[in-house]
Parts: sequence; structure tokens; C-alpha cells
Amino acid sequence: MNDSPDKLNERRTFLGIILGGIGVVVAGIFSWPLFRFLSPVDKGGKEQQVRIPREKVAVGGAYFFSYQGHPAVLLQLSAGEFRALSAVCTHLGCIVRWVTDAEEFLCPCHGGRFSAAGQVLAGPPPRPLPTYAVSLEGDEILIG
Amino acid sequence: MKLQKDAMDWLDSRLGVRELLYNNLNGYLLPRNINIWYTLGAILMALLGLQFLTGILLLIFYVPDTEKAFASVTMIMNEVPYGWLIRYLHVVASNLIVAFLFLHMFSVLFMGSYKRPRELTWLSGFVLFNMGLVFCLTGYLLPWSQLSFWATTVATDAAGAIPVVGDFLVEFLRGGPSVGAATLGRFFALHVMALPMAFLGLLGFHLFCVRRVGISSAPFGDQYQPTELTRSFTHDEHLDGVPFHPNYTIKEISMVFFALAALVVITFFVPWLFIPPEALVPANPFVTPEHIKPEWYFLWTYQVLKIFPSKLLGLSAQAAVMGLMAILPFLDLGPERRPAKRPIFVTIYLLGIWV
Repeated sequence: MNDSPDKLNERRTFLGIILGGIGVVVAGIFSWPLFRFLSPVDKGGKEQQVRIPREKVAVGGAYFFSYQGHPAVLLQLSAGEFRALSAVCTHLGCIVRWVTDAEEFLCPCHGGRFSAAGQVLAGPPPRPLPTYAVSLEGDEILIG
Repeated sequence: MKLQKDAMDWLDSRLGVRELLYNNLNGYLLPRNINIWYTLGAILMALLGLQFLTGILLLIFYVPDTEKAFASVTMIMNEVPYGWLIRYLHVVASNLIVAFLFLHMFSVLFMGSYKRPRELTWLSGFVLFNMGLVFCLTGYLLPWSQLSFWATTVATDAAGAIPVVGDFLVEFLRGGPSVGAATLGRFFALHVMALPMAFLGLLGFHLFCVRRVGISSAPFGDQYQPTELTRSFTHDEHLDGVPFHPNYTIKEISMVFFALAALVVITFFVPWLFIPPEALVPANPFVTPEHIKPEWYFLWTYQVLKIFPSKLLGLSAQAAVMGLMAILPFLDLGPERRPAKRPIFVTIYLLGIWV
């Protein structure tokens, strides 16, 4: 039963490949639970609609609230004219602030400016602020 | 004295301690022209040890909960005896560590000590430098102040620029759509457990590389000549050198005390250098503070994102710079280490520091 060195090498290479393959499979099996463990937990709590009492937002003013896990803002541009937008700057995720006099949003991080409609006026933001559907239900404003 | 000798004899007969000590202290010869820039590693290890100690002490009172974190830090500062001292030492030392990491890296670059055969020493050191920054970033969130919250929001949001997987990556880093309890949980685990273990492991490898390859000579003076390398492994011997102990240990200890003195002066007299007013206000997810700026060592990345027209372009530029730095010894293959004989490299080096 004396194998030649070539045969031994072939056998060792084969066993090495098999062991490596098993190692990759085992690593994959253990990586998936780890990945799922670290992934965000979906609690199904992402509210599809938010109700805000009308008196919370003054004419010309802004009211900040949470919508689907992100800060959002509700504007009352003129009496009865409401608009809801994401308050998260599309550049680096800072929260924009409403400048009442200029009637526009300003991001305090890099000076990005957005119109009341969410359009980029100046600065580095690459996209407009997302807007949300708004409807009135009695004394409440329904967003989403 | 007899007890000490007996203890030494006992250890020596079992582990050969005397030989080990001789080989690594009195018998370990270093280049004669070794300078204070070679002591930065020792300073960093001393400060790191202090971080472990103060970090463990802070853990006794800190509560990693979004509702309680800020209050627990306030309690450490105001109610726990010497809590303010422990926390300030931790905060100030973290900044000093980054400063000394930069100095360590700059001195290695200037003296060309990253070159073959020290590629792995450089690479492990560069990864340690980046881990140091991640240490700071994860620790920054823990007090759950306005500063913590918004620094983390901006830092994690940057990952969103990566095409296709960007949005998923941001949520994965945060553990949810916005910075919140899940983010605090994972940053806490990283800061107090995962990073320290990984850092210590890699530091061990870095030190092993330094000891195994040998300390490089400073590339200054008439006696210095670049050496052509052989293909096989050789330890960089310095047969006419000075012993590690006491010559170099004295130099190291004096520099460590200099760094500790700087730490104490800042801690007692100007801790506000590293604790701006936003750090005193609890996190408010609806209000980004005005004129918010990241820590001084992340300022360049923040400004780069402002300058580039696209966030992806800005991040790509930063990734390219860091990638080039990591593989520098594999690109810069010439044996010459004297700064005066490397004008192009030194010009880029100085421009890089200036920018």
C-alpha cells in the first residue's frame, strides 16, 4: 500500500478542496442567522397614516412629527392649505428647519435650501424632499 | 531581595524568563539614531490602557438605553464621586489617541518606514488607525446628546450614497430607519466588546511584526544608506546599536509622561475643547442643532462632502485616498527612505497635511 508522492498530493489536494468547501458551507449556514440577527427588526409598526389635530399647525407655520420612522413636517401655507413633507435633508440626513420669513427650508448641516414644495433651491442636496398625501377629516389632518 | 531572587529563580527554571527578558530588553539592540518619533507607539499603548480602565469604570454607571443614557452620563458627571474626572479623562484621551495616531502615521510616512519588508506592519497599523476612528464614532453616540445623535445620523447617512445597497446599508447600520434604540444597542456592543477585542488582537499582530522584522533605522545622518533587500526573511539587526533597556525605555517613559501631562492639563483646564455645548443637550430627533460640526478628525470628510457636487463622488474620493494609503507599501517599491531624496513623495505628503 505504498502510494507514490504524486498520488498522495492528489489525495491531499482533493481533501483540501472538500474541507474548504465544507468550511464555506458551514460559514454560510452560520452567517445567515447572524445577518438576520443584525438586520433591522420589522415590528410592523410603520404607521401608514398619521392624524394630526388641525390646531397643532399655525398658518404660515410648521409642525414636526414622526412618519414611518422618519421625521416629517406639516406646513399650513395659507388657511386650509396643508402640505406634508419628509423633514430629512436628502444630502446627509440632517433635519431641515422651516424659515417662516423666507418660506423655505434650511438644512443646518451644509446650508441646503428647499422650497415649501420640497424642491432644491440651493446647496448640495441631490433630490427634493419627498412629499406625502394630505387630506382633511373634520378637525384632523390625515397624512399618508 | 532574596525573595525576589527566589521568585525569579523559580520562574526562570520553569519558563526561562531570564533569557526571555535579556533577549527583549538588554540584549535587544536598537539603532543609535532612534528619535522621539519612535516613542509614539508606547504613548498610544499607555493611553489605550487608560481608556480600558476609565471605560470599565464608566460602564459601572452608564445605562445603554435611549431614555436613560443621557441621565446616566449626567449622573456620572454630577453625582458620582470623581465621575467627572473619569469621564473627562476618557473623552480627552480618546482625542489625544487620534492625535497621536495621526502623528505616528505621519512620522512613519515621512521616514519611509512603511516600505518593504514592513508592509504588514503598515497595513495592520493603518487598520488599527481606522479602528480607532470607529471606536470614537461608536463611543460618540453613547451619551445620547444632540451632538451624539446628529454626528451618528450624518455618519451613517453617508452610506446611503452607495448605489443599489445604500438605503439598506443605512438601515442595517442603524438597526432601523432612523438613529434610535437599535443604533444605541449595536454601537454600545461594538464600542465595549467587539472593537476592543478586535483591536487588541490586531495590536498584538502589529507588535509581533515590529519585533519580528526589527526596528527600522531613522533615515537621517551620513551613516544611513538604503539597504537592498534579500528575498528571504532577515531580522533587521543593529549590532552597533543601543540596548532597548535602559536606553530606549527611559526615552519611552519620559514621552509617555509628557503625553499624560498633556492629558491632565486638558482634562483639568480646557476639557471644553472636546465637549461643545451641543453635548450638554439630550438628543432630539426633530431638531438638528445649528452650525453642527463633526469631531475635528472627521472634519475633512465633512468638508469633502460639502465640496463635491455628488455625495457618491465625495465618498468615492475619500475611499480612493484611504485605499491608496492602505496599499502604499505595495506601490512605493523603491528602497530610498531619506526624505530629501524623495521630493515628489514629500511634496504630496506636505500638501496632504495642509489640505
